[in-house]
Amino acid sequence: MLRFITRRVLVGVVTLIAISIIVFGLFFAVPSSPAKVMCGKNCDAASIAAVETRLGLRDPIAEQYTSFMKGIFVGRTYAEGTAFEQRCDAPCLGFSFRNNEAVTSILGRTVPVTISIVFGAAILWLLIGVSLGMISALRRGTLFDKVAIGISLTGASMQVFFFGLILLYVLVYTSGILPFPSYTPFTDNPAKWAQGLILPWITLGFLNSAIYARLSRAQMLETLSEDYVRTARAKGLPLRRVYTKHALRAAITPIVTIAGLDIGASLGGTFITETIFGLRGLGKETVEAVSFLNLPIVVATVLLAAVFIVVANLIVDVLYAVIDPRVRLS
Amino acid sequence: MRNKGGALIVGALAVALTATGCNATTNDGGGGNSGEAKTQSGSISYEAADNTGPAKAVDGATKGGIVTSMYPADFEHLDPARNYVNLQQLTGNLIYRSLNGYVEDGTGKMLLVGDLATNPGTDVNKDCKVWEFKLRDGLKYEDGSAISSKDIAYGIARSFAPELNEGPHYIQQWLYPGGTYNATYKGPYEGNQMPAGIETPDDKTIKFTFADPHCDMPYAAALPTSAPVPQGKDTKGNYDLRPFSSGPYKVKTYTRDNLLELERNPNWDANTDPIRNAYPDGFKFTFGLEQQQISERLVADAPADQASFGWGDTPPAVLPRTTTPNVANRIAKGPTQYVWYLGVNNLRIKDKKIREALYYGLDRDAALKAIGGSSAGEPASTLMSPTTAGFVKFDVYNAPPTGDVNKVKEILGGTTPPPMVLAHSNTALRTAQAEAIRASLEKAGFKVTLKAIEATSYYDQVGRKNNPYDLYLHGWGSDWPTGSTIIPPIYDGREIVDEGNNNLAYFNDDSVNTEIDRIKTLPAAEQDAAWTALDKKIMQDFLPEIPAYYDATHEIYGSKLGNVFLSDAFGAIQLNKIYVKP
Repeated sequence: MLRFITRRVLVGVVTLIAISIIVFGLFFAVPSSPAKVMCGKNCDAASIAAVETRLGLRDPIAEQYTSFMKGIFVGRTYAEGTAFEQRCDAPCLGFSFRNNEAVTSILGRTVPVTISIVFGAAILWLLIGVSLGMISALRRGTLFDKVAIGISLTGASMQVFFFGLILLYVLVYTSGILPFPSYTPFTDNPAKWAQGLILPWITLGFLNSAIYARLSRAQMLETLSEDYVRTARAKGLPLRRVYTKHALRAAITPIVTIAGLDIGASLGGTFITETIFGLRGLGKETVEAVSFLNLPIVVATVLLAAVFIVVANLIVDVLYAVIDPRVRLS
Repeated sequence: MRNKGGALIVGALAVALTATGCNATTNDGGGGNSGEAKTQSGSISYEAADNTGPAKAVDGATKGGIVTSMYPADFEHLDPARNYVNLQQLTGNLIYRSLNGYVEDGTGKMLLVGDLATNPGTDVNKDCKVWEFKLRDGLKYEDGSAISSKDIAYGIARSFAPELNEGPHYIQQWLYPGGTYNATYKGPYEGNQMPAGIETPDDKTIKFTFADPHCDMPYAAALPTSAPVPQGKDTKGNYDLRPFSSGPYKVKTYTRDNLLELERNPNWDANTDPIRNAYPDGFKFTFGLEQQQISERLVADAPADQASFGWGDTPPAVLPRTTTPNVANRIAKGPTQYVWYLGVNNLRIKDKKIREALYYGLDRDAALKAIGGSSAGEPASTLMSPTTAGFVKFDVYNAPPTGDVNKVKEILGGTTPPPMVLAHSNTALRTAQAEAIRASLEKAGFKVTLKAIEATSYYDQVGRKNNPYDLYLHGWGSDWPTGSTIIPPIYDGREIVDEGNNNLAYFNDDSVNTEIDRIKTLPAAEQDAAWTALDKKIMQDFLPEIPAYYDATHEIYGSKLGNVFLSDAFGAIQLNKIYVKP
């Protein structure tokens, strides 16, 4: 197990380095100058050159990349030797080109927002989706099954920006039943935290649960038709035990994979959800940074998103072994 | 020119960037039922009554409450040396005071008066070359220490630093004419402590000596550049986050991209301030919502949002819901200082007759409809905006808003105009607008091809002399409400350079240039009428480009806000005289 985890972590690190190089390369392939965007008015060639020097954009790309990586581990000093010298302690991800705020502080503010949205929504979509799917499978052909399939089809066909806006219109703008979504740190006020995020949770939760319901139902039906389940039933094992001990465990394995990847990817930013509900999470920050050619934020957020995916994959692999004894980590 | 709106407005899936340079980047949100254009009657007042605090009380206004602003994007800069966007300047005005400022009452009457200074400045030798300002008694910073004229000089000195280059540079350029403003003096962080030409003989006096006459100095002294910055409180690049307060409010908290909270500065004395009433106990500037969400919330007017307002234009999708009586009475609408032009490249379209035909061929209504209908502005016939001091509306060609195809044919007299390329910024709104303009010109007999240019490089490309385009949309707004930051920057042909031009018509005429020089030497009070006359002359004799429409804004506010009106100086809801209803 330890060897497996170590190997996967090493592969993950290599992946992250590769991604960071690609992001740097792509950024400089774009024919726009962040210095020009920042330079403001009365901008002339000398001002652009001054901004580029200050930001280190005049250094060779390889040097900029190594300075960036070095900053993560030992910190770095910008505009050294000038009146505007600025120290950035490790783990230094640089300063925003737009407002000179430390990228780590931006991430410290935006990551909890995205994590709060995703985990709340994930609990909902897994709870609703998997339960609906399982029960549908067990009550195949009944009214419950048909209604559940109908709901999941509706959910799967809808988009966040449509369902979210309808919820906002009905529950916030016209009836005032709920306040407009906002983010309050969980540690400050858990009730307000939940109240402010309930709409994005419902939106993401409902839409994603549809897919999970359909997946769970299909998996469960397939498992129920397996020989070993039939054998278990034939041997007189109570139905409850057959379903929970034998069928459910096998059926849930692929769902864990999908859930892990979904959660990992969502943690990288739920841009549309964040935008619709006015929550400044990682997704919104990233898209804005791309538009502003804000390299330090782009690199940091892309790397972080990659970290989430790598870690989610690792967790899924480990969970596999726990859920399904047939899977051995090697 | 002052940019309108924040640097960026985040669309649902797109981000509109501010153009660097001096051209208008409006927030492209449509909005603004501008049927209420009023004539600006601004002037400089040396009357003691106008220049003495406290500010005239607003009928029915009460102290207290918190006013909340909702805006999509955070401010770029609050540092007075770097503050060059109207909304930032409105906000900065609450935190710091400049030498001069504007008193407004919402009726179109706007007075430039002394803010920190006892009056708008003394023209010592009556030649506009030496200007002296005397500070009021009893001026204090947020820590209770006295405001000194030396801090104003220091504030101006630091605005020369290349690292703090984003603000307006009028005074700086006047102090160091010929060449780049900071080619010689680079601020107090490198070598010399103070720029040449600024003297502070005592703590109450600051004197500027220019090589050339600058009768506009009272207006330039109203820009944030002349706000005092005590050297001991200068945090350089971080001053943006917490400018040291000399105004009625100080920074309580500032979380970038989320929230700026202002609270009262107990050391501000209303008796020293003829401009600000400072009724609310504080302000909250919230950032991050989409403009549509902001407008929807303000329309809904939920209890939590009743003391809130939005600085962005109401999007076209929400406009229909703003006509019900309980919303319609919560709208601030009117023209901004921006005019949008159908720029004509005079290096390519040299025949005035063709430009005249274009004037009649342009369907201004259609151009406006494409960006939100009549709410986005109103058809223009002058080069200067209705918010300019001394503005007189005229139309020397009397073209109907929908254009006049017959007149085009009459002017062209059977000749075929050359095919033209119409360049436009590649955003959804500008593309739709360019298409509408193309359609209207084609209907009038012109052959027009569209050329989309990325928004971030649009003004760079059309600002290049000898660019290959015939027509292009562009906007311009003044830095202060007189013609001196409109006509000279965009119609003085001597300023045309190879790249980065503001004179996008590439228009150059000696008689206009000479008249510009003459007007600049007139006393500021006489300039208004002279700029208006020159506007008319340029339109009548040359018609270098086609004024398309006066930009308008349409802003919604909550039912608990009182005395809400658009500032003519800044083209957005003002904060100096707003109050929260009990």
